[in-house]
Amino acid sequence: MRIVIGEGSCGIAAGASKVHKAIEAVMTANEPFSLGSTGCIGMCFLEPIVDLYDGKTLLRRLVKVTADDAVSIVEAARSGDLSKVDSITISAEDEEFLNRQTRIALRHCGLIDPVSLDDYREADGYQALEKALKTMTPEQVIEEIKISGLAGRGGAGFPTWFKWNAARQSVSDTKYLICNADEGDPGAFMDRAVIESDPHSLIEGMLIGAYAIGACEMIVYVRAEYPLAIANLEIAIAQAKKANLLGENILGTGFSCDMRIKAGAGAFVCGEETALIESLEGKRGMPRLKPPVPAQKGYMDEPSNINNVETFANVSWIINNGGEAFAAMGTENSKGTKVFALTGKIRKGGLVEIPMGKTLRDVIYGIGGGIRDNKEFKAVQMGGPSGGCIPKELLDTFIDYKALAATGAIMGSGGMVVMDESTCMVGMAKFFLDFTALESCGKCVHCRIGTARMQEILTRIVKGEGKDGDIELLEELCEAVKDGALCGLGQTAPNPVLTTIRYFRNEYEAHIKEKKCPAKECVDLLTYSIDAEACRGCTLCAKKCPAHAISGAVKQAHVINSEACIRCGQCVNSCRFGAIIVE
Amino acid sequence: MCQCNCHGPKSDLSLLDDVLKEYAGSSSNLITILQKAQNIYGYLPKDVMYCIADKVGITPADVMGVATFYSQFRLTPIGKYLIMSCQGTACHVNGSERVTAAISEYLGIGNGETTADGLFTLENVACLGCCSLAPVIMINGEAYGNLTPDSAVAVLKGIQEKEGK
Amino acid sequence: MEQIKITVNGRELIGEKGETVLNIAARNGIEIPNLCYNGKLKLYGACGLCLVEAENSPKLMRACATVAQDGMVLSTNTPRVKKARKIALELIMSDHSGDCVAPCSLNCPAHTDIQGYLKAIANGDDKEAVKIIKEKIPIPASIGRVCPHPCESNCRRRLVEEPLSVAYLKAFAADNDLASDAPYTATPEEATGKKVAVIGGGPAGLTAAYYLRLSGHDVTIYEAMPEMGGMLRYGIPEYRLPKAILAKEVAAIAKLGVEMKNNVKVGKDISFEEIKNGADAVLVTIGAWKGSSIGCDGENLEGVLSGIDFLRDVNMGNRPEIGKNVAVVGGGNTAMDACRTAVRCGAENVYVIYRRTRAEAPAEDIEIEEAIEEGVEFLFLTNPAEIIGKNGKVKEIKLQIMQLGEPDASGRRKPVPVVGEFKTIAVDTVISAIGQKCAPSGLEEIELTRWGTIVAAKSTCLTNVEGVFAAGDATNNGASIAIDAIAEANEAARAINAYLLGMPMDFPEPYYSKKNVTAEMLADREKKARAVMSVKSPEYRRNNFDEILNGFTDEQAREEAKRCLECGCHDFKECKLIRYANDEPIAPERLAGEIHQSFKETKLVSIERDQGKCILCNLCVRTCKEDAKQSILGLVGRGFKTVIKPEFEGSDKIEVCKTCGKCVDVCPTGALKLLK
Repeated sequence: MRIVIGEGSCGIAAGASKVHKAIEAVMTANEPFSLGSTGCIGMCFLEPIVDLYDGKTLLRRLVKVTADDAVSIVEAARSGDLSKVDSITISAEDEEFLNRQTRIALRHCGLIDPVSLDDYREADGYQALEKALKTMTPEQVIEEIKISGLAGRGGAGFPTWFKWNAARQSVSDTKYLICNADEGDPGAFMDRAVIESDPHSLIEGMLIGAYAIGACEMIVYVRAEYPLAIANLEIAIAQAKKANLLGENILGTGFSCDMRIKAGAGAFVCGEETALIESLEGKRGMPRLKPPVPAQKGYMDEPSNINNVETFANVSWIINNGGEAFAAMGTENSKGTKVFALTGKIRKGGLVEIPMGKTLRDVIYGIGGGIRDNKEFKAVQMGGPSGGCIPKELLDTFIDYKALAATGAIMGSGGMVVMDESTCMVGMAKFFLDFTALESCGKCVHCRIGTARMQEILTRIVKGEGKDGDIELLEELCEAVKDGALCGLGQTAPNPVLTTIRYFRNEYEAHIKEKKCPAKECVDLLTYSIDAEACRGCTLCAKKCPAHAISGAVKQAHVINSEACIRCGQCVNSCRFGAIIVE
Repeated sequence: MCQCNCHGPKSDLSLLDDVLKEYAGSSSNLITILQKAQNIYGYLPKDVMYCIADKVGITPADVMGVATFYSQFRLTPIGKYLIMSCQGTACHVNGSERVTAAISEYLGIGNGETTADGLFTLENVACLGCCSLAPVIMINGEAYGNLTPDSAVAVLKGIQEKEGK
Repeated sequence: MEQIKITVNGRELIGEKGETVLNIAARNGIEIPNLCYNGKLKLYGACGLCLVEAENSPKLMRACATVAQDGMVLSTNTPRVKKARKIALELIMSDHSGDCVAPCSLNCPAHTDIQGYLKAIANGDDKEAVKIIKEKIPIPASIGRVCPHPCESNCRRRLVEEPLSVAYLKAFAADNDLASDAPYTATPEEATGKKVAVIGGGPAGLTAAYYLRLSGHDVTIYEAMPEMGGMLRYGIPEYRLPKAILAKEVAAIAKLGVEMKNNVKVGKDISFEEIKNGADAVLVTIGAWKGSSIGCDGENLEGVLSGIDFLRDVNMGNRPEIGKNVAVVGGGNTAMDACRTAVRCGAENVYVIYRRTRAEAPAEDIEIEEAIEEGVEFLFLTNPAEIIGKNGKVKEIKLQIMQLGEPDASGRRKPVPVVGEFKTIAVDTVISAIGQKCAPSGLEEIELTRWGTIVAAKSTCLTNVEGVFAAGDATNNGASIAIDAIAEANEAARAINAYLLGMPMDFPEPYYSKKNVTAEMLADREKKARAVMSVKSPEYRRNNFDEILNGFTDEQAREEAKRCLECGCHDFKECKLIRYANDEPIAPERLAGEIHQSFKETKLVSIERDQGKCILCNLCVRTCKEDAKQSILGLVGRGFKTVIKPEFEGSDKIEVCKTCGKCVDVCPTGALKLLK
């Protein structure tokens, strides 16, 4: 028997390391079972997760495990009496979360030990590389990718084969293959999960790409906020080098390619490929004018190809299974699967990989279990700061690059943040503009000043200081920034504003004209009062109120002094009788 | 050793020797050098940046431009505990603003500031990627999830107790 | 080199393969606006002004970065491009904090280049100063003496201690110039053969005549009075403006070739029709010469005079008999002129009847002060209720006592009678100085407002009659200060010139960048008191019309001029940004928000940087790096908060920056300045 603990970042944040230590602590020498760890299983809502295996067979999946469960887990593993862990075993319903997925990019995540080359190899690892290097020409590799229909998973959805081919066509002795692992989109973490949980699959995918374009070096640009990913990838690179899977004369084929990691330093704009190149060169991450595109003149002015992590994670599967198998999944113009990071007001949040062509409803309700706390679904945000909010009416939209773009949102890198009735859509637009304004590199006028002005207008709207004409002014600025900004960050920054205006214009109008926030989220627009009928005079709210704005005698109805009230909401949380009215 | 005649407290520049030996050969390594320097000094003192400029063969203006562009770099010392408050979308939707406000109010510091006792520095950061635990803060690498304003302050109180403050 | 053809705005242009659209257009004389491009430097693409539209392309393209392809069809002025450029300029301007022009000039109705002439005076070059002044005011010695100087009220030096003595410095320079061997004289343009008739030789008429003459037109002024000068000649008393000085300035205008016909009243001596027929354009500047009546019983008695008539008579040398006790009604400058003139005419008791208090009086405070010094008694909060006569002649004036009530539309507190409270004083003469009206006659076909003034269009000064323009006190809102009349006359001259030459008569309001300056921002300025003008003693003044002011000494004037803070941008005339901002109307105010505060940095010692004016085109940083190979300047921070800063170690700053000045040369705004 094997005990395997899910120790991706999410699991660790939820306490997986503590569970690991607790189990270790109750283990003695010569136990009849082993203890190991794996990466991200993807069911974040159930973390920490502990799996009990017999060989390759999963016997039990234990969820929301705490250190206190260590004794019973160890006892169960020792005795084989799994009833000891019944209480923490995953429910049949929750198992559906994984059962309904089709995992390609995430195929090894949560199944293998990320830092074990043997584990990876046992799971067919590096077979695709061998196949490509020994039986295919670079052109054949590109052709296979073309057949698969694989498109960039970082957001833009540009055909991967086309970029590879362009880089292949560029004549130079020195070419670079770069992996964009600067997953800056707030709300997306699939790339981190892949690197943490399956680093060799990234290396293998990149090697196949490097072979296809003729690159001599591979660079992975990873966010510095992902220390575990960097650590695991470093280990994997060392293992691969040792096993002659990286470096000189790989697998004796004469193909040589090295790999290194470059840690980002905190700048969302570096997800834009030319900014990323500037950053790799040790400069401020300010986008360059295109053309020339990186395939002509990229890193160090040499031909370079950049793809994101999830894209590379699909490559070895495609080489192993054939492009047609990949293309069999999905829609006319979107092939294969896509990973989504499902978060927000969702019952079951985590990583979801499904074939293209499913609907948003399939993901949010079918897999995610719908909205938490019995609230109403309002919108789902896709594509992060470059994307948009898709309303309830469009829940049956297909997951497809074109269909999503038609809503005003984008496929993006796969962040899917679900919002319920209590989320203010103007506040949401402001949230993203706060982000883009902060992350704007400051180079071009439209993005530097345009996003700042949009942010200011949104700020005044949520504060109740919006003016007639502000919506139109926002729309005008949005169009101008889309047209005039230099790079993708700026050009797409207006999307969150445009989509919220498009689908939730009434919320904007309520803020501006009636000075009301329909979602009751914009603090400056709320008034708190106490329903004298419902109030029992328990004094709890008065004690909790940090502003001492609530007064009243015991067993008498209390009152809120609205001038002193700081609208923190503590009274609402403390009241057991639902007597606080928020308007 | 560099021949820096800068003002302000002098940093022990010999600590940089190994880093510079390995990376100073190319200006494309500037970010890596700055990251390693920050690991050594906790922040990027001016004389350290001048020294790096000198050794890498670029100007102080070039170094300063990079050091102020990336949010990871700090030009002032930080407290013993670095509180990274996640500003990701999922955290936002789940009420991170109130959590951050409560921390700010409790410690009396804003974003990027350090408490007078040098114990805490508060930093708003981009998504930490623990979206399912939103709202999340990370203190010296350890994540605290599913926070409320009260539970966030309780975490800080725990640290203060441990530190005898 | 392979040649390619592209079409820009319908013109076919030849370029070389590999060239950018911007370059090909520029070489063919089509300027595509840009603020961050420089052929010597690597492409940058920040400003977004060079966006152009290409046929068959959904996206606008940056002309600076677009390599021309053979057969490309481009437009630089479609509505979409214009709109994109407009908003780009608005965005840039919304974060551009600087004063194109100093607040004194902006608030001078004629927008005289005050900073320019003050600098010339400070440098001791009075002729240059007069040359600058005469770009807007042809009679500076006169105006410098009488102008209530809105410039001084807006002089930023008042935030340090006191405003500069702008008005009198103008008179100082002009006096010196007039007294010099070779006073400044402008040279008229080549004759156009066009004739302009100006009706009325006051400040407006003289000004328009001067500039029209300089434009090469034949100008004739028809003046009803015996001499030119209008109210300056017949309204303003000699002790404020010696007529000899005015006469010299009028003579200088005549010397340019302006024909001046005195004692010709239109409608009497010559018909309007005749004037119109004899000229290609007519300008009506007849002023406002009729005093408003008091509107109380007894105002038709003998001994009740209009202030304007009284002043005119005295200025013509016909002193009316006014007796020993004189009441002047009104609180404006005409009332002050009248009461002080009355003192000089021998009245023993002169009262000023004004229904509000001194604080509300429209007269210059110094005028009130000097009138009191000369013995005038001010009866504030009184209003004539009745003028009581005996034998048809004024004997007494009964005054209603007033008090201040609620503020009225003008913001001043409205005077209301204190019921039943009166006061009666014995007077021989009552002079009414409560306003002037325009009384046009002989110009019947010209449309009038319901106040009897001529309707003249804003900025073109056109009346309803073809080829007839009007300006000054006689138009629209009626009488105002001389500099307002001069300002309008400048506009009229510009419009008439355009009219005569068949040019478009479209004069948009220029756009200027302005900045908010507080006293705190000027706290570091050295305090230096305003020059004190020496004046003749009240005792001396009472019985003669000698000029009161003794004038500045040379040293006083130079020092005073040096107090100028030079608020206006040194780069205004070369500034690319403001040129583009005036190509089409823009409204950056709608995007108002956070700005980079103006902050002058002199770390570079011989180069001054103003962060407020910087538009982050980064040309200076790029030039410093790529052209000068210095890399002393750099970007700091990111996003909206980005700034440009010099960064270097060591204390020997001069040695670090070689002051090659290349950064200053490439700056498209006035953010960088080479210090001398």
